[in-house]
Amino acid sequence: MDQVSDEEVEVRGEEEEEEEDSDKEDQDLDKMFGAWLGELDKLTQSLDDGRPEPPPQQKAPLRQETNMANFSYRFSIYNINEALNQGDNVDLDALMADLCSIEQELSTINNKPNSSSSSSSLARLGLTDTKVRGRVRVGLGLVSLIRTAPDQQQLQFILASLSMDEAARQTSSHSLSSASSYTSATMRRPGASQNKNEEQAAKLKAENIRVALEKIKEAQVKKLVIRVHLSDESSKTMMVDERQTVRQVLDSLLEKSHCGYSADWSLVETINELQMDKVRQRKWNKLTKIDKKNTTVFVFQECFGGSSVSVPEMEGVLWLKEDGKKSWKKRYFLLRASGIYYVPKGKAKASRDLVCFLQLDHVNVYLGQDYKSKYKAPTDYCMVLKHPQIQKKSQYIKYLCCDDVRTLQQWINSIRIAKYGKQLYTNFQEAMRRSEAAYDWSSLSSSSIKSGSSSSSLPESQSNHSSQSDSGVSEMTSSGHTRSQSVVSSIFSDAWRRGTQGEVRT
Amino acid sequence: MAAWDLSVTVEDLGSDAPPVAISVASDLHVGGVILKLVEKTQIKRDWSDHALWWDQKQQWLLRTAWTLEKYGIHADARLVFMPQHKPLKLGLPNGITLRLRASFSCPVFQTVMGICRMLNIRHPEELSLLRPVEEKKKKKDKDLAEEIYDLTEVPLSSVSRPCLYNGMPAHFVDSPQMEAIYKMLSVTQPPPAPEVIAKQYRPASVVDKAHINGRWLDSSRCLMQQGIQENDRLWLRFKYSAFYDIEPKYDVVRLTQLYEQARWAILLEDIDCTEEEMMLFGALQYHISKVAQSEPQMLSTNAAMDDLESALMSLEVKMEGENSSASELLETMTAPELCDYLKIFRPKRLTLKGYKQYWFKFQDTSISYFKSKEESIGEPIQQINLRGCEVAPDVNVASQKFLIRLLIPAPEGMNEVYLRCENEQQYAQWMAACRLASKGKSLADSSFQSEIQSIRSFLAMQKSNSHGNATAGDESINTHSLVSPRYHKKYKPKQLTPRILDAYQNVAQLSLTDAVMRFLQIWQALPDFGLSYVVVRFKGSRKDEVLGIAPNRLIRIDLGVGDVVKTWRYNTMKQWNVNWDIRQMAIEFDGNVNIAFSCVTADCKIVHEFIGGYIFMSTRSREKSDTLNEELFHKLTGGHEAL
Repeated sequence: MDQVSDEEVEVRGEEEEEEEDSDKEDQDLDKMFGAWLGELDKLTQSLDDGRPEPPPQQKAPLRQETNMANFSYRFSIYNINEALNQGDNVDLDALMADLCSIEQELSTINNKPNSSSSSSSLARLGLTDTKVRGRVRVGLGLVSLIRTAPDQQQLQFILASLSMDEAARQTSSHSLSSASSYTSATMRRPGASQNKNEEQAAKLKAENIRVALEKIKEAQVKKLVIRVHLSDESSKTMMVDERQTVRQVLDSLLEKSHCGYSADWSLVETINELQMDKVRQRKWNKLTKIDKKNTTVFVFQECFGGSSVSVPEMEGVLWLKEDGKKSWKKRYFLLRASGIYYVPKGKAKASRDLVCFLQLDHVNVYLGQDYKSKYKAPTDYCMVLKHPQIQKKSQYIKYLCCDDVRTLQQWINSIRIAKYGKQLYTNFQEAMRRSEAAYDWSSLSSSSIKSGSSSSSLPESQSNHSSQSDSGVSEMTSSGHTRSQSVVSSIFSDAWRRGTQGEVRT
Repeated sequence: MAAWDLSVTVEDLGSDAPPVAISVASDLHVGGVILKLVEKTQIKRDWSDHALWWDQKQQWLLRTAWTLEKYGIHADARLVFMPQHKPLKLGLPNGITLRLRASFSCPVFQTVMGICRMLNIRHPEELSLLRPVEEKKKKKDKDLAEEIYDLTEVPLSSVSRPCLYNGMPAHFVDSPQMEAIYKMLSVTQPPPAPEVIAKQYRPASVVDKAHINGRWLDSSRCLMQQGIQENDRLWLRFKYSAFYDIEPKYDVVRLTQLYEQARWAILLEDIDCTEEEMMLFGALQYHISKVAQSEPQMLSTNAAMDDLESALMSLEVKMEGENSSASELLETMTAPELCDYLKIFRPKRLTLKGYKQYWFKFQDTSISYFKSKEESIGEPIQQINLRGCEVAPDVNVASQKFLIRLLIPAPEGMNEVYLRCENEQQYAQWMAACRLASKGKSLADSSFQSEIQSIRSFLAMQKSNSHGNATAGDESINTHSLVSPRYHKKYKPKQLTPRILDAYQNVAQLSLTDAVMRFLQIWQALPDFGLSYVVVRFKGSRKDEVLGIAPNRLIRIDLGVGDVVKTWRYNTMKQWNVNWDIRQMAIEFDGNVNIAFSCVTADCKIVHEFIGGYIFMSTRSREKSDTLNEELFHKLTGGHEAL
């Protein structure tokens, strides 16, 4: 592990041009990959032999996929090492099982004709790789972290739940952590000709190919091992695949931790590097309590109650951090469906005079933590807008600061609605439906769903560049604890009913 | 009962003909009067559409079983016997004028229903008629006789029972002329010349915008009662901005006209938008007009199949045909490559390094580059995967600048890379490849060629602009045709082109229907969308203010402040009343909030109808979407006349 990092450093040193700006240092990636290639080949061979080996102790930089497409084989590298180093009760067995199944998959695939259809699944890959990494923050409360990548990137997922009050600590929790990993990817046509299919009846051919393609698709799905930190300081490791939605991950987490189904949970990604979303459970609980009813429900009604989904009318003075400086300037910002704008100095806020601050297609909204001390922000109620793949300080990251927490919540919720639109609501409904279905038994059998406070939603980051239409997205916005759930949900469904009445299918 | 003479003007005899006198008794019913009248004229024709109009009372005598006594008609009554359906010149949202027969005897609400049935527009409740803004005729305009498309020959019976052939109402299939008219209704118009936009009336303020709303006809009264004469000109417009259940398959005309209305609202700044939004609207208009020209039919096919599925399909087809191995098949499907010498530049702080030439290879969704073509077998100097990156053009045809700007996200931030192409041809290919790759599509994607085409046509547009006046070629559209006159002053066409091109790349792959839908979606997402303004005087206030009526709320705009000072939502509205004597509206909201105002620029019936109309629109539901609840509409909008 250390070796790899050293190599990385070395390679960088060799660069002929100084990379002063962190934004521009990916040139060395090719070389890095060159260095790994040998190891990958070895891996490949072992897989081909059908003798799965435990993953080497190696780090896989998250950027790996960028250049992977042209390698003949791609494999996941599970960094268990890091997990071990952490001394937590890593669920190695479970991890191993996952790994073995992946390897099996891979070796099967290697025996089959592979295709250049990689383009299609790669498309998915690209999307997803962001998806897994970008995450969602919604809910709050107890939290857990997952650390994914090696130094350059630390992603942490926080499993948060509102419904769990501080008192309700009895939630069982586990945690795992591990390093990032990828599963395979491109498959080039194997050199040797495959006669397998020829031998089969003509009828079966098409079917076989279909199966093969499916496997390829499967194999090209990236997997990520994440560690989820739960409220009781424990954590749980699990493998997620890029196609999974956050909701699905949550479902399995909840199942594993015997919490019973509830829509109140959520995963939160934290990025230590940028001090975004650090785990601040207690504070969170308080913040969110204040807001849920006021903000979320309000905003939802406004936006989904109309004839079509509209963007909430959000405008007001916010502090904007100046690029590269620790100084903050006041500006009057407005949210529109087409992006975030501000009013230039000396102008009225007529639409035609607005200056586009940024468009939402490529950025996600994050919550800033402790910016008051770190960046001299006027208050601690900060949000950050950035491309989900950017994980380090960069001029492309925009920092905004609100005067109070309520404003912050409203902005974040509104931006999410502007970005994801109806998908948010659909996800919410879906979760509520399932949670209500699950409620009957889960509440009886488990104490985990406790009465508590209400919740609110935090920004979510999905790394989906493609906006709300992407079906892969899913997270949830929060909601209250079970008792208030039905109230909230009925408010929502009322709003929705009104909305569908005059709905335009645009 | 004593007989007396009743004189009736029969319109069909000509305007000079004296009234026809018939002998009637007070207990004769209206049907009997008509019978006598017809007998006396001795004209044989179909009189079924004719009815009696009582001029003094401004009233139709449509109840044929009612006696003259019951109607209160005496010998001094001036009655006119005439058809209930008369020709009307109807201006459509797309600027085209039709001449068609509309009912002058039933409430305007029903008249609009009839018109919409004839034109094949669903959900007629969202539209209404208004008196046009008088155009100041200049001398030179007089020579240009406006083309009017005649639909008066359409039999009324066909309108009442519409049946569709090829998605067209039967009466449009009758002749090539009729089919041409239907095409006019269902295909978007080409972008108007910039002068045409500049010449049109543009509201300069919210008060200007308020005046148009004084022109809406009363839905609960008939055209005759509102002083509309045969062959008068009226506009058909979408009045309520609550467009229910748009289904591109069935709503070809509706969608086209809605798009045209939205487009003109944008071009004439009837609704405000930001510069970025204007550019996107411009790009969509450009795209729509281009696709509409190339696509013979409005009805476009569904979204292309998923890549994997289509790959599968083609595999299966090939499997059937040839007897080759799967691996060979897959080999033939290998994505094509793009290779060429290009120049690359990576801007960095403190460096002034220029463009360097390398041998570039585009494969799948990645670009790799090598020192030279000869070395391209080995390791590339660098490989860049473009998935998820931002691609922006930086092009100036006149100075032969063809740059592709790539912003590639990485954990550390954005990597900025410029690729310089030598010529249009090269640029179009590489740009197309970059755009597809940024969406995760490879060169093998079916849209690659069309992407190249759209880039080239856009370059052609810039070329024609840079040559001064735009020629009338298909490909060349003056970009001033796509934006409001404000931007004509702000930018030259060639300055506008790259801005629109920038926005265009996000919409270039949309089908015609999708592009129209996107346009409408963005239009509906504008903050001021759906607001109809009326100047009002609030009770107790001494100054005029503006009331904005939206599909879900009312807003109060203070003309002094120039901004919204209060918002009331319909879902908190408890009741509203109109005092018809003092023409004042009073509305009560939850929490004992009461407002009252009189209307300055529009009759209070119009305001009442707007509010009631929106309430009505919100009662529509999928289950009963086929039947229009006319009674409820009139109950909500009719006012005292409905009672």
